[in-house]
Amino acid sequence: MPQFEAMGAQVVGVSADAPGTLGAFQKENNISKQILAADWPRREMLQKYDAMVTDDKSPIYRYAKRAYFILDKNGTVKYIKVMDSPLNILSADEVIKAIKESGAA
Amino acid sequence: MRRASGGIPVVAVALLLTMLLAGSASALQVGDKAPDFTLTAPGGKQVKLADLLGKGPVVIYTFIQAFTPT
Repeated sequence: MPQFEAMGAQVVGVSADAPGTLGAFQKENNISKQILAADWPRREMLQKYDAMVTDDKSPIYRYAKRAYFILDKNGTVKYIKVMDSPLNILSADEVIKAIKESGAA
Repeated sequence: MRRASGGIPVVAVALLLTMLLAGSASALQVGDKAPDFTLTAPGGKQVKLADLLGKGPVVIYTFIQAFTPT
């Protein structure tokens, strides 16, 4: 994603998976430009960011919401978007726009 | 005793409201300092928020599980 690099932005994907699972996922999808990281096994980050779902009825039981957090380089939160459905995804262009409009860049 | 029986739901509602308000106050908001975290990248490398800051904006996205669209 050259647009992100041009802005000096770093993109980190976080899930509640085990690191090995994430590694296989990264390899299979050739996601090399982004950092993928596992909040595992304690899911502390997802809890701190209020981005976790605990659902007794789900076979996964505990999983991450689909959410986007944009921080400026000092670590101040500039933008939060929690999707209603995990199937909703922001496009790269939408994320770039959010970075610019929130004043994170 | 009529008054006492009516009092219990009021207490319950007040308690519930307090819990809801406390919950929303602790949620992360725009303008807050992002809580630090340490994550594990595939291969075992530690990813700390502090290491990512200082260079430019940081985009963090969370996704439900591997092998779902990112």
